Amino acid sequence: MTATNEHDSLIRRGLWITALALVALGGVFAQALLRTPVERWQGPAQKILYVHAPAATMSLMAFLLVGVASMGYLFLKDRRLDTFAEASAEVGLAFGAVMLTTGPLWARPVWGTWWQWEPRLTLTLLLVLLFVGYRTMRTAIDDPDDRARFSAVVGIMALVLVPFVHLSVYLFRTIHPQPVIFKPSAPSLPWEMLRVFLMSMVAYLAVYVGFVTTRYGIGRRAAAAEAS
Amino acid sequence: MNTPQNAGYMIAAYSVASVLLLGYAVSLFRRYRSGK
Repeated sequence: MTATNEHDSLIRRGLWITALALVALGGVFAQALLRTPVERWQGPAQKILYVHAPAATMSLMAFLLVGVASMGYLFLKDRRLDTFAEASAEVGLAFGAVMLTTGPLWARPVWGTWWQWEPRLTLTLLLVLLFVGYRTMRTAIDDPDDRARFSAVVGIMALVLVPFVHLSVYLFRTIHPQPVIFKPSAPSLPWEMLRVFLMSMVAYLAVYVGFVTTRYGIGRRAAAAEAS
Repeated sequence: MNTPQNAGYMIAAYSVASVLLLGYAVSLFRRYRSGK
């Protein structure tokens, strides 16, 4: 099997995982809309939880993995780690777009405002903008070694911001609610809601795996073309 | 207190998320097909 065929096969596998994961996510969305109870104080808008919070988690996880892969690249100089970091950054931005659009749609009916310049929201926006810069920087550097090295440094710098985003609701006075699932004590959601939320997390995770596998394959194919 | 009637925001959020995720999936497929 030639390298190009190997990359195409990986991309096809990623596309299949993506397709199946998106079908599963569609099923979870239907469950969330039709089968979960309506919260008394927030009304139907509370159901945005099932689409917003998992997207935010996947986005932070993707950016975290960019930092980890970037550190790995600087130590090992393995180009595959750089390609993975590039893929995870782009997928993190896709989930970040979901997070930053569904968040205001939830905030408007519940907080009475689309946006607040408070710590959690501002830090999250900064993190996403940092990765927009990361992606733009990659397109501006022609030499593959320089591109990988500079990108790794930015990826590691962004990694520092990730825990601050998660912990900002504990560290600062903020309008954003504290976690109801990812916290030291037991989840504070009734089982009918928690069940669908966990299903949504699993479906989102599968979408992440599908997206990253596909994007990684595309990146490896492009790197092979660049080298030849 | 009556439960708020704000289903429009919920439908908008699910629609936007679906469009963004499907759109990104299609963009990956197009990149695969174009060979770039």
